[in-house]
Amino acid sequence: MLKNTIRRWWDLRLPIALLGLAVTAAWGVRQTQGAPLFEVYNWVSRPFQANGSGQEQLISARTQELQARLLESETQNQKLKELLGYVSTKKPKGIVAPIVGRSADHWWQQVTLGRGSNNGIKTDFTVMGPGGLVGRVVSVTPNTSLVLLISDPTSQLGVGITRSRNMGFMRGKGPNQAVMEFFDNVPNVKPGDVVSTSSFSQLFPAGLPVGKIVSVDMNKTPAPEAIVEFSAPMNSLEWAVVYPHSKDVEQKASAGESSAPAGGEKQ
Amino acid sequence: MKALSKMFGRSRQFLNFSVTFVSVLLCILILPTRFPGMELLGIGPNWLLIWLVAWSIKRKRTVWGAASMGMVLGFLQDAMTAPHPTHAVSLVVVGVLTVVLQKSWSIPADIVERDPIPIALIVFGMAVVAETVMGLQFFAMGDRALLEIWSYHQRVALCSAILSSLWAPVIYFPLNRLWEMTRSLEKS
Repeated sequence: MLKNTIRRWWDLRLPIALLGLAVTAAWGVRQTQGAPLFEVYNWVSRPFQANGSGQEQLISARTQELQARLLESETQNQKLKELLGYVSTKKPKGIVAPIVGRSADHWWQQVTLGRGSNNGIKTDFTVMGPGGLVGRVVSVTPNTSLVLLISDPTSQLGVGITRSRNMGFMRGKGPNQAVMEFFDNVPNVKPGDVVSTSSFSQLFPAGLPVGKIVSVDMNKTPAPEAIVEFSAPMNSLEWAVVYPHSKDVEQKASAGESSAPAGGEKQ
Repeated sequence: MKALSKMFGRSRQFLNFSVTFVSVLLCILILPTRFPGMELLGIGPNWLLIWLVAWSIKRKRTVWGAASMGMVLGFLQDAMTAPHPTHAVSLVVVGVLTVVLQKSWSIPADIVERDPIPIALIVFGMAVVAETVMGLQFFAMGDRALLEIWSYHQRVALCSAILSSLWAPVIYFPLNRLWEMTRSLEKS
């Protein structure tokens, strides 16, 4: 009986060893965040990557972004006049990257960019699209980088209403919407207001356009809520611009300045 | 002929292995793409799930084999997205369920091989099961609200199930054909 069992196991030694090998290899790939897979993916999909044409549909989104930026700058300007002696030193330069892939499952809102650490992209860099903020780089391989979109429920960021300076935080909900919770009980907000990142946000620089309020629910407890629609067309993005950003710099900056609106300048 | 087949025994095993390996790699590389016609509300087919069902539906698979294969594919999908919560759980459940289903109902192999409907139906059910397991995992992690998960789950499960079952024959038939070919080579 025992002999038979042992023999059966001995006959199965090759499948068992192969399965063990496969599990170990898959574990290894998982631990390296799939770096080899993304490299191969980038190499295979290179002939199909977008080549810059077909940008017409994004132009109106771009115009909206510029309007939002202008409004943001004007409001900031007023604030800055009050803060005598404030000098902006930052002028970040963006890295343009094509979007080569979308999320590899259904529960995460991610995109893959076709540029990586070879082009100077690092983890925590901010990703902007035509229209506004898109997301944050979460992992990098030599030629690709994985971006967690702001539409993902796990990405929460501090945002504010540009017009009234009411602050709150926002978490993603679905492909092109997010829910914003206000810190105030009676915020001054109405549909159509422009939303941008606030200086409470540690993962993103302050002052980047995010989207527009489409509806407000004042009766929500514990805090009033609003639905935000992103100004960047998340589903039809083809290109994105990556800006350097790191948590440490932001923390240092916010320690130095009480309310430092870091520049979201572009180009 | 016999000596020949004996001589190439190793290389045939290698061939069989490489068919498996290359097809998994293809499924993984197609995961981040969204070709026109392959997406519904921004959701694409669950290629790894289709592959796993196609692999587990074969008659000689065991529960343990399917579980380890599901774990392998789950880890690979983790690598492509985010490791918490792991996709391995849902794919292990799918692999085991498929084997149990195949064994308990003893679905005749020739029907599955000739007709695309059974495989599409099984993939439809398994896609719903997999998304439900993922939803439960997100609920257990506790950083998303139950209502949010539920409303998102309905959309994801339906889209994923429809698309996966429609695209299942595209994976299943060529793969099955290749496996049959390597096996018949082995037997001859």
